[in-house]
Amino acid sequence: MKRRLTLALKGSLRPQENDSAFLLDPKRRGVPGRERMRRFAEDERVDMIVVGAGAGGATLAQRLARRGWRVLVLEAGPFWDPDEDWVSDEAGSHQLYWTEPRVIGGTDPVELGKNNCGRGVGGSMVHYAGFTPRFHPSDFEVRTRDGVAMDWPISYEELKPHYERLERELPVAGQWWPWGDPHGYPHGPHPVAGGALRVWEGARRAGIQMRVGPVGIANGAFGNRPHCIYRGFCLQGCKVNAKASPLVTHVPDALEHGVEIRADCMVTQIELDERGRCRGVTYVHDGQEHFQAAEAIAVAGYSIETPRLLLNSKSKRFPNGLANNNDMVGRGVMVQGAAQMAGRFEQEMRMYKAPPPEINSEQFYETDERRGFTRGFSIQTVGPLPIGWAEHVVADGHWGQALREYARDYNHWYTIGVLCELLPRPENRVTLADESDSQGTPVARLDYSQCENDRANIAYAKQTLQRILRAAEAQDELTIDRYAHLVGGCAMSSSPEDGVVDRDHRAWEVPNLFIADGSVMPTQGSANPALTIMALASRLAERLADKRIAA
Amino acid sequence: MSEELQEGASEDVGHLPHHGGASDPGPPPELPRQQRGITPQMRGRYPGYDSLAQVEHWDERTREVVLDRVRKVPEIQLFDACEASTLRAFCDTLTGQDCEPRIPVLEMVDEKLSAGRLDGFRYAEMPADPETWRAVAAGLDGCARTEGYEDFAAASSDCRHEIVERFSKGELDWDLPVKKAWAVVTRMVLAAFYSHPWAWSEIGFGGPAYPRGFARLGAGQREEWESPPAFAVDPVEDVPTRGLE
Repeated sequence: MKRRLTLALKGSLRPQENDSAFLLDPKRRGVPGRERMRRFAEDERVDMIVVGAGAGGATLAQRLARRGWRVLVLEAGPFWDPDEDWVSDEAGSHQLYWTEPRVIGGTDPVELGKNNCGRGVGGSMVHYAGFTPRFHPSDFEVRTRDGVAMDWPISYEELKPHYERLERELPVAGQWWPWGDPHGYPHGPHPVAGGALRVWEGARRAGIQMRVGPVGIANGAFGNRPHCIYRGFCLQGCKVNAKASPLVTHVPDALEHGVEIRADCMVTQIELDERGRCRGVTYVHDGQEHFQAAEAIAVAGYSIETPRLLLNSKSKRFPNGLANNNDMVGRGVMVQGAAQMAGRFEQEMRMYKAPPPEINSEQFYETDERRGFTRGFSIQTVGPLPIGWAEHVVADGHWGQALREYARDYNHWYTIGVLCELLPRPENRVTLADESDSQGTPVARLDYSQCENDRANIAYAKQTLQRILRAAEAQDELTIDRYAHLVGGCAMSSSPEDGVVDRDHRAWEVPNLFIADGSVMPTQGSANPALTIMALASRLAERLADKRIAA
Repeated sequence: MSEELQEGASEDVGHLPHHGGASDPGPPPELPRQQRGITPQMRGRYPGYDSLAQVEHWDERTREVVLDRVRKVPEIQLFDACEASTLRAFCDTLTGQDCEPRIPVLEMVDEKLSAGRLDGFRYAEMPADPETWRAVAAGLDGCARTEGYEDFAAASSDCRHEIVERFSKGELDWDLPVKKAWAVVTRMVLAAFYSHPWAWSEIGFGGPAYPRGFARLGAGQREEWESPPAFAVDPVEDVPTRGLE
């Protein structure tokens, strides 16, 4: 009782059924308890193998372990120790990204690697900026409301309790959120740096509302996680433990409840039994092949590696790849149009300070027919470090002395960007390329092309950025066209012919195969996907553990 | 904005390329010479600021990684002497490095390519990144020969500029998609140049900030160890240049 009272007096609500923040060491960053982590024997049949320890996989594992499941997570990358492995440096953070070979094609190819692909325990959330908005209720019914894409087989209401629970676990800091389903956040807004204040004033003059947050960065100490130090290296992995990623928000509690995370293990094949059920996976560790048996398998390798693993898991029953007899695996991969525009101000803004995610607007999120396209975009702050800034300058057409001059002017600039909801298209797809990786497994190829609605959305969104910067009295502008985030590729659907998994993430064609990452999203909204990926995994875990779905 | 300009404010933008400044081949003549530490070509806006003077405040792992970048200049392994000479001239043109001290961009690129530390994607119509670099070297030399020079490195500065300008716009007729080749090589060049602490000193970037962090986040504010810029465009010249009269 006394303990409870003290905790209640200490500030924000302690999340229920997740002690991660309290299991961490206040002086060291690595996950404590790795040395006493449970180890399953190779011939032991576990309840669930989870492939990938990112936003989806780690959340699912933690939840299931809390409900008594024996869970093994196989992760292709390392088990990070931020003290030892991460640096406060852009180029030195190359190892955080998925840098194995992949091929990109289509009329508007999507650059992968550091832009959108993670590797190692914590996944891409290790190097995401930190924005954690919810999707809007409209996102789940875009076909009904707007006549585009596909409705989700689940509603916003079904995810809402999981959003709320995760916002306490990360925890999320921000102002009252007036858009979508209006809601508040467990932690108050962070202080905002000079550049964002200036842009905010510009937005206000342009008639655009912005809000601080929402970010997965504790505002104040949270358990044994220290306060943010505003150093601005969120995209290089948080060495402070202030920014939320599964490595600090779910992995400590998962280990405490008996999950084994086997790092540096690349799953190459999902194996079937004669009845067409999964019996286990083959994975490669240190160049050696291993097999592990399981009652059920959840793939959480994200929008490129999840389809790749299914496509590579060929059998007599599934000659075109596992769960792909309807030819839907890999289809509908989405990225958000993420053009950025920088404005030059007379005062020094030094945009490398403070976390890049500062303020955000979802005023343009929903369809407004007067704009001439369907669905919308959000507006967010970004704070490129020197390499990112130089890429921005060169994208605007400057090199040589001009590049150097704009780079020397770095401290006078501040940058904002958009996330445009680009629509899912079946031909935007992951397939297998003709080349193989060092293990001999065929690599993924992602083809991506925009449609007219996408181009109109991006063009309008860029004009809006310009309106804000001009209202803020910026003296010069520089623009870069780019993409952000990745979702889709194994969509959940209401009927077996339209997608890969059902509303319970279960493959339509394989009864004990689940997909628990962003690839199940049928549409993407213009919100950053991390929180929704976690919420989906949380809902799946609850339904599995409640036996509302048999595994 | 009605608020008064604070220290370090710079109202003029005449030095910026969109406003007529930074015309090639030379940097703006008003730039001061670096007084503390090293910057590329000893140019910079912050003559009293040396990012490396802060190393004792960086965590040990970061210090190792960044100092290795300065102290250990790798030998060229991947490119042959001809390719290296062409590509070095290209990297210098692209980054405006026209005299010593230079950041060893090509060495840094070569090291990354030799170690196979690629960026995680390849355009379908493009060869592997090392092949793209070789093809760019051959293409640049070919363009220079058309203009009557022995190769790209031997070409005049104006000629090199002209070729790189056409490269940047995708206007060259090479055997590979030129715009994508531009994306591949610039990405690696920029990642090398702006990862170097000399470049950080040139642009006044605070550098690694763990475990110290930043405390002064407001417009016009600086940590006590950050320096004010020392560069002002002369309005007597700037105003007519920008046509403001």
